[in-house]
Amino acid sequence: MSTKKYYTDGHIRRQMKADHDHALDFDPGDPLVGLHRSDLAGPQLERRTVLRLLAASGALTAVHLLLPGVAPDAHAAAGGTLKAGWAGVGEFRTLDPAQINQVLLFQIASNVLSGLTHIDPQLVARGDLAIDWTASDNGTEYVFNLREGVTFHNGDAFTADDVIYTFIRSRNPENSIHSRVVANVADIEKLSDHKIKLKLKAPQASLLVKTLERASGRAMTIVSRGAIEKMGTAQYGLTPVGTGPFRVTDHSLGQLITLEKFDKYYDPERPKLDKVTIQPIIDAEPLAAAIEAGDIDIIGGNPIAAELIDRFEANSDLNVSIITGPGFQSVWMNPHRDPFKVADFNKPVAELMKEKGFKVRLAIAKAIDRDRYIERAQFGRGTPAYGSINPAMGFFFDESLAETSNQRFDVEEARKLLADAGHPNGEGIPPLKILHTPSARREVQVIKDILKRNLNIDIVLDPKDFPVLIDAFDKMDWDLTRLGSGGDFDPDDGIVDWMQTASKFNGRNRDKEKFPFGFFSDNEVDALINQQAVTAEPKKRRELVRKLNKITSDKVASAFIFHPADILVYRKSVNFPAQSRIPGLMDLDRVTIS
Amino acid sequence: MTGYLLRRSVGAILVMWAVATLVFFMLRAVPGDPIAAMLFDVGDADAIAALKAKLGLDQPVYVQYVKWFLLVLQGDLGNSIYGSRIEVSRIVMEALPRTLSLASLAFVIAIVIAVPAGLISAIRKHSALDNMVTVFAFLGLAMPDFWLGIMLIIIFAANLHWLPAIGYAPLSQGFWPWFSHLILPAIAVGTPFAAIIARMIRSSMLEVLNSDYINVANAKGLKKLRVILVHAFPNALIPVVTVMGIAIALLMAGAVVVENVFAIKGLGRVLIEGILNRDYPVVQGAILVVSTIFVFANLAVDVLYTVIDPRIRYDS
Repeated sequence: MSTKKYYTDGHIRRQMKADHDHALDFDPGDPLVGLHRSDLAGPQLERRTVLRLLAASGALTAVHLLLPGVAPDAHAAAGGTLKAGWAGVGEFRTLDPAQINQVLLFQIASNVLSGLTHIDPQLVARGDLAIDWTASDNGTEYVFNLREGVTFHNGDAFTADDVIYTFIRSRNPENSIHSRVVANVADIEKLSDHKIKLKLKAPQASLLVKTLERASGRAMTIVSRGAIEKMGTAQYGLTPVGTGPFRVTDHSLGQLITLEKFDKYYDPERPKLDKVTIQPIIDAEPLAAAIEAGDIDIIGGNPIAAELIDRFEANSDLNVSIITGPGFQSVWMNPHRDPFKVADFNKPVAELMKEKGFKVRLAIAKAIDRDRYIERAQFGRGTPAYGSINPAMGFFFDESLAETSNQRFDVEEARKLLADAGHPNGEGIPPLKILHTPSARREVQVIKDILKRNLNIDIVLDPKDFPVLIDAFDKMDWDLTRLGSGGDFDPDDGIVDWMQTASKFNGRNRDKEKFPFGFFSDNEVDALINQQAVTAEPKKRRELVRKLNKITSDKVASAFIFHPADILVYRKSVNFPAQSRIPGLMDLDRVTIS
Repeated sequence: MTGYLLRRSVGAILVMWAVATLVFFMLRAVPGDPIAAMLFDVGDADAIAALKAKLGLDQPVYVQYVKWFLLVLQGDLGNSIYGSRIEVSRIVMEALPRTLSLASLAFVIAIVIAVPAGLISAIRKHSALDNMVTVFAFLGLAMPDFWLGIMLIIIFAANLHWLPAIGYAPLSQGFWPWFSHLILPAIAVGTPFAAIIARMIRSSMLEVLNSDYINVANAKGLKKLRVILVHAFPNALIPVVTVMGIAIALLMAGAVVVENVFAIKGLGRVLIEGILNRDYPVVQGAILVVSTIFVFANLAVDVLYTVIDPRIRYDS
């Protein structure tokens, strides 16, 4: 994955080299040696620590240090109106963090509301409304010092009471769809107006990046009690009041959201823009025409249609910034149906390899040429996937999985597996239905072609509206399903949410007497997931995450296909600084327009 | 006339009730669980069950229907299932002015194009002008409105930069912002109707122009323009007005594709997104409004007949 626009400024290059040298001035062989828990305390991780973490993951390269984006525009200055178009969406039905269930919504909310922490481009949690924090030795108590002098858009002062109010609101499933995110928080105690103690039921490695994060977390995105009580929740969902850099001044339902600079934002240097308008645009072609005509300056929201990117890159008025996105996409195979039936995954891989159903699963996973898929379905943009941990997570991502996974592409081996399973050249395998959303039709068509070509297996496309697809997926009423995850900033997003027996997506509405588990269940994986969840020490956690990621890959929890690219398109008049280029998000507080 | 209007109004209300009831039960027969889809990212089966109970979706369908119907009788269309559960009336009322604006302008464009084209075509039957109008009419009918919309965007917004590509500006922001945002989608929506109405005017005018009273008017030496506009055209309007009435009703919710292309959130899109999300209250509310408009637009057309042709008297 690379960015299309490279820095050319000499100063930035020199700074880059210095950063790189500085990052490796410790033992490059094991950069984590000597890294202590205190190094991971807030208000943010030191840049050096971040670099060491990246180096430890083998992910530290000059390109990573660059942070995708373009060189700052010399003509850009504060002020002005940014016109944004949000792709693939018809309206913004709520911006209340308690109800937000889409990335494209928290992209907006993150500009209006704050959290205790906020991730940076390396997905490292930094202090937002929390100035700094300390953790107890056993990792179950955190003390946060909160910013003083912060006000909500309605003029109310921000205090510890607002953190407690948000927590109480979020833990009640009647008020929030994210009650599960704060399930591990036992209590929040007010130590003073600007100091709180957060008590956990068990240590939680993802606390700062997942639970307390302002954008993806949502459960602890700080809301205004005064505004909610005055407006009611429905209106609050349209025009939320927070402490963020922008305030919502107008929300014309389904048409336009207007954000204006919040003059009393805690950082007087931000936001740079006076005003932002956000227009939902469903169709791809009008979206393209709008940015080409200058009707909009930048595209946010859902991923931009892959077929448009080449056109945007060829347009000299536009910048296209491409980085690895925080997610994965898979083809799921129902283990309760022939021909890929597996009654029990709790066996060593060598034992599973003796089963016909597992052989077919593995054959399908091995026969999918990820590079061909990415080239044809994603126009060459994306990263082949062999697990649910995405490369945007850098430190946790295991690049070697492409070589070591059982799912490594090998057509001959896949054909042999299929023949060993009693299906030489795909014989005896009935046409398999693949469940997918209508928008994924082209991608599924490519998968169909690949499996036909490589294994002579016939796939029947089964497009369904999302509510119907989810209904069937939850009930395990499918052969194959093309589905995946986005907005995965912490390993928990990829593994706790998908790979555990009790994962929320794992056949939750299945007939439990008929199907003892959903699409995958492995005791060792479950244990490792639980273990990593309470392991605060990064290196140890990484080992656990990588180990379980490999098991899910080897045992074919799904045929992992690709990690989508995060593509940002904006007009040359926009200066989108590298500091704001967070995968999956659209932080506009540092953006300027010339 | 009053008696007729009363009878038609009662009939209209019955039609609306029948449509709303049919939609209510059909929606629930369609597969797809809106709550499971909404809470997909949350995943907790208990949360799904709790929310269903809170929204009353766990109750038998007939109980849900009675509750909904009683609320509608009180003027309450309920709340959306999704997001912050905004009132359906608000969702519909925010979309309605956009739809009315688009439909009105499209209708005006259709009439402005269709009336002269239809008249010229009829008067100059089989001439080059008539052939041109015929070709235009077939083109207008053959071109999908979304394709025409995209072409208009590419030409007038992306290349010429004369007009905005997308979006909507309410009249409160001024006439030009309103007009400039709507003219392209209105052309896209109005063109097929212009084609239909032009053909209708042509055939209707040809029939009238061959009637005896027109021959008499011509024999009296009346000016041709007067014969056409004062004597022939009004009598040719009856079938045209019928089509116009249907056109207005269709424009209210049938412009959804063009609304998508131009990113205008009108009633059509409210309806389609409601169906895709299985947002029952929104679909029911929008259908109720659309069917109301449809029924009363046709009633208005029937009344208009009496204005156009004084011989038509419903009470007799």
